[in-house]
Amino acid sequence: MSNEEPRTPTPEQDGQPLSNEELRRQLVAELDELAGRLKSTEPAYEPPPFSPQRLVRFVEESLKRFPKDIQLGILDRLRNVMSDELLSVETWQGIWYMLNYTVQYNVDVVKRHLTGEFDTDEWGLDWELLDMMRPLLAFLYRTYWRVEATGLDHIPVEGPALLAANHSGQVPWDGFMITTAALNDHPAQRLIRCLYSEAIPQVPFVAPMLARMGQTLATVDNGVRLLEQEEVVAVFPEGTKGPAKTFKERYRLARFEQADFVTIALKAQAPIIPVSVVGAEETYLSLGSSASMSRLTGLPYFPITPTFPWLGLLGLVPLPTKWYIDFGQPVSVADYGIDAASNLVLVAQLSDQVRHTIQDMLHTRLTQRRSVFR
Amino acid sequence: MPGGRVVLVTGVRGDWGGRVAGRLVREGYRVIGLYAEPPAPQIEGADFVQASLHNPALADLLRAEGVETVCHLALVETSRPAQWTFEANVKGTVHLLEACAGAGVRRVVLKSSTAVYGARPGNSAFLSEGHALRGSRGQGIVRDLIEIEKYCAGFHHAQPDVQLLVVRFASIVGPTADTPLTRFLLATDAPTLLGFDPMMQIIHEEDVVAALVHAVGSEVAGPVNVAAEDTLPLSKVRGLAGKPLLPVWHAMIYWAKRRSRLQRLPMDPDYLRYPWVADLARMRHELNFVPSYSAEEALREFGQWRRSDRRLSGAEVLARNESRLRATIEYRQGSGQRVDAPPAAEEKEAHE
Repeated sequence: MSNEEPRTPTPEQDGQPLSNEELRRQLVAELDELAGRLKSTEPAYEPPPFSPQRLVRFVEESLKRFPKDIQLGILDRLRNVMSDELLSVETWQGIWYMLNYTVQYNVDVVKRHLTGEFDTDEWGLDWELLDMMRPLLAFLYRTYWRVEATGLDHIPVEGPALLAANHSGQVPWDGFMITTAALNDHPAQRLIRCLYSEAIPQVPFVAPMLARMGQTLATVDNGVRLLEQEEVVAVFPEGTKGPAKTFKERYRLARFEQADFVTIALKAQAPIIPVSVVGAEETYLSLGSSASMSRLTGLPYFPITPTFPWLGLLGLVPLPTKWYIDFGQPVSVADYGIDAASNLVLVAQLSDQVRHTIQDMLHTRLTQRRSVFR
Repeated sequence: MPGGRVVLVTGVRGDWGGRVAGRLVREGYRVIGLYAEPPAPQIEGADFVQASLHNPALADLLRAEGVETVCHLALVETSRPAQWTFEANVKGTVHLLEACAGAGVRRVVLKSSTAVYGARPGNSAFLSEGHALRGSRGQGIVRDLIEIEKYCAGFHHAQPDVQLLVVRFASIVGPTADTPLTRFLLATDAPTLLGFDPMMQIIHEEDVVAALVHAVGSEVAGPVNVAAEDTLPLSKVRGLAGKPLLPVWHAMIYWAKRRSRLQRLPMDPDYLRYPWVADLARMRHELNFVPSYSAEEALREFGQWRRSDRRLSGAEVLARNESRLRATIEYRQGSGQRVDAPPAAEEKEAHE
């Protein structure tokens, strides 16, 4: 099946704006043509029988489970939404075709990846796969953790910036959520390149997946190169000590493993933006960690939670806590110059300054928070 | 213009030596080809001398002929380390470099590989020339190259008068090239590692020849990485080359390798697991070399060639090989004009 959209006749062609009625007629004609083409390519296909009555009955049955006043509210809203179009068979056939098209498109993407017909940048970022993952990330971001992101305007619309964030949660979802925040809510929809720990490259599937999302290993060379390419880079200076924290130690920043992130920022002359993530600590209730299991599995740490490892992978389903991601005031390093990267005292001072800023931001947000889940 | 500068090419009977020597002749250099064992190769316009690299009189030859540049391409490529390859490669290179220093040769060009960096989990995405050489010591040629490069680094300091340029090439791909990557891509039963997809760097075989010729004429010294500008994930390399998908759990491959079940793996599994992509800043800004093929183009060409071979029946393959041999005979008897693409490459296009 071809993936080309049919050439749409644009209203501008006639030189005068079309009325709604005409636009509507054109759309119907287009959909008819699309349906005809689909039928010709797949003659065996029969659309499933559909009746608006069945849909209405289904809605009514589902509604019975709600209390009376909510029922009335929903019915009221439904009545406003419901119009003739929604009840006509053609509309639903159209929706079915769109779904069918989406599935075909995704199958096509997978097929093309198997024959090497896809494009990545030099780091391995594949926008096509990233776009396929975006609905899942958006679901986690908007619906599951209801992330509230503030200070996104501190990320420049163009040019480099280095984000330094606290790292938490036994499975580090925070990197994904920081990325999603900038991708969905930043005016320039910037893609944040997270730098991951050196434990990742040895784990199957994880390293290639992160690479397709534009992430790469945390080394000074990688960070500087990305910033010099005008990218926004995120680092987690706590390293693996961050996510490995037990529940008791939550929101207490671990010692910064290395001050390399300051070196990166100084070498690339990029501002450091402190980022605090609140809510990720409570996604898992880590009671402790098992050193022997960590050695056995080759993972950098092996958390023990009320559900993991007892329920297997199911125990890794995170709790739906409420998240806050705060992007703080950028710390400019322009005054120090590139040579300052070798000044260890200055690097350590800047690292401490950023660490205290993040810790303060965490405390501020924690005192404002009413509940873990709301 | 080269203006008849004298270049000595070692290993002219090998594939790289022969092609580089032919190309240098056409560029206007006076070429002396060094070969270890008869028969003498046939390249119009080049002189040939039969001598081993270990020959003590090599320095006298270099001085007598007024050799200005030496292009050393006489390396034996084996997958397993052995004493005799060490003698031929490492000792041979050491003796050659000593002779060059003694005879006052101005410039030496050596062909190496980016595999010397080694594929390690802690590698940055782009390794610069100063990165430590931690390549797999289980591969014969890589081990020898690391030894050679370590000697070269010392030589570079001890003999600053000799410009020693080491060209580190990425994985070479092409219709006639026989390299670890082409062997891996051609072997239908060579597995990839399940869940690993490192970025890879490619260079087309014609660009290897072009880069070496360019290197002979340049003034750059020290190691330089050379590869096509684009880096591709291994899965794309595999897909474009038309190699069937065969992922195997990495622990099984390492286990089998330890138990010597897979002595003939075309590529060390680490090189299919971790990145070993080289940074090309020196190639772009100092060597000023621009590869003519992108990695994607090189692999598409390789894939077409490979697929055309598979689609043909046995009789057709035989007929094609016959015509290829006839073309080779004609070319050897004829003008001797060495063409850039060997006959095999042209034959391939006729079939597409």
